[in-house]
Amino acid sequence: MTDELEIVPKADHRVMGVDHAAFPTFDPAGTVRFYRDVLRFPVVHSICAAGWGPDKHPDFIHFFFDIGNDDRIAFFYYFGLKPYGDQTAPGDSWARLDHDTPQFFTNSRHLAIHVVDEEDLLEYRKRLDDSEWPVEMQVMHETIESIYTHDPNGYMIEITRALRPVTPQEDLDAAITIDALIDIAEGEDPSMDKLLERKAQLIVERAEAWERAQQHELAPEPVLVP
Amino acid sequence: MTRLYVLEVPENEGFVEVAAADPVITVDKVGPYFRLSADDDIVIDRRATGARHAVWYSAVAGLENSVITQQDKNALRVQRR
Repeated sequence: MTDELEIVPKADHRVMGVDHAAFPTFDPAGTVRFYRDVLRFPVVHSICAAGWGPDKHPDFIHFFFDIGNDDRIAFFYYFGLKPYGDQTAPGDSWARLDHDTPQFFTNSRHLAIHVVDEEDLLEYRKRLDDSEWPVEMQVMHETIESIYTHDPNGYMIEITRALRPVTPQEDLDAAITIDALIDIAEGEDPSMDKLLERKAQLIVERAEAWERAQQHELAPEPVLVP
Repeated sequence: MTRLYVLEVPENEGFVEVAAADPVITVDKVGPYFRLSADDDIVIDRRATGARHAVWYSAVAGLENSVITQQDKNALRVQRR
């Protein structure tokens, strides 16, 4: 007798989102006020660990907040540790940058947390505006709307909602952009001009065939007329 | 020939409508992209498109033998390279 069970191969893309993103803090009280009391993100896990090992690791607390979808943001608080770097320079608890670092670069590394609609975005806006950490910016981007603030550690936090679903042609455009980018990024003087020139070549090569394939995929099943 | 590409998404509708209304610009499609062609410069007035800034500054998807010589809060100008 043969085994009738069909073995379904696992998908190629198997990961399931963020388990946790971890950051150091020198202000655990402020951090808990910001995430637990203001944003009302539940505390879901913590570890109290005695330091050990050859590099005299300090004793530390590792604590986690739920950011939805079972994903978590986590912090390390190290007893007795003092912040590194020039605390008057741009940056955050993890690193201080040069004094002349422009703001766009300092803010380029940030965490964006998703909400489903405008009501929820405005709810988080209200929670922040009623706190020591009011919203610094509310911005309508191409297809998303976001609010931004910095947490007590200087980490930039974005809360964002999609204004509409991403369309299939945007996935095509993203793929073309990235292929064009890797083509020019290792060449001399990468620029937006060179990227858009390369993109036009890839659009001509691929866009029509892509659309035909889409139409084929979306074509309705033929209906049998009795 | 001056030529640029714009992806067909709702945010770019105003941009493409302004181009289509300009008699010197020919608009056709290449897959899901609009192709804007003209013998001379292509100039798009930003306010006429109604595009928000983030949309305006990311509307161009490709440049064929052409170069952007102006892209600011007032207008986009694309010329033959």
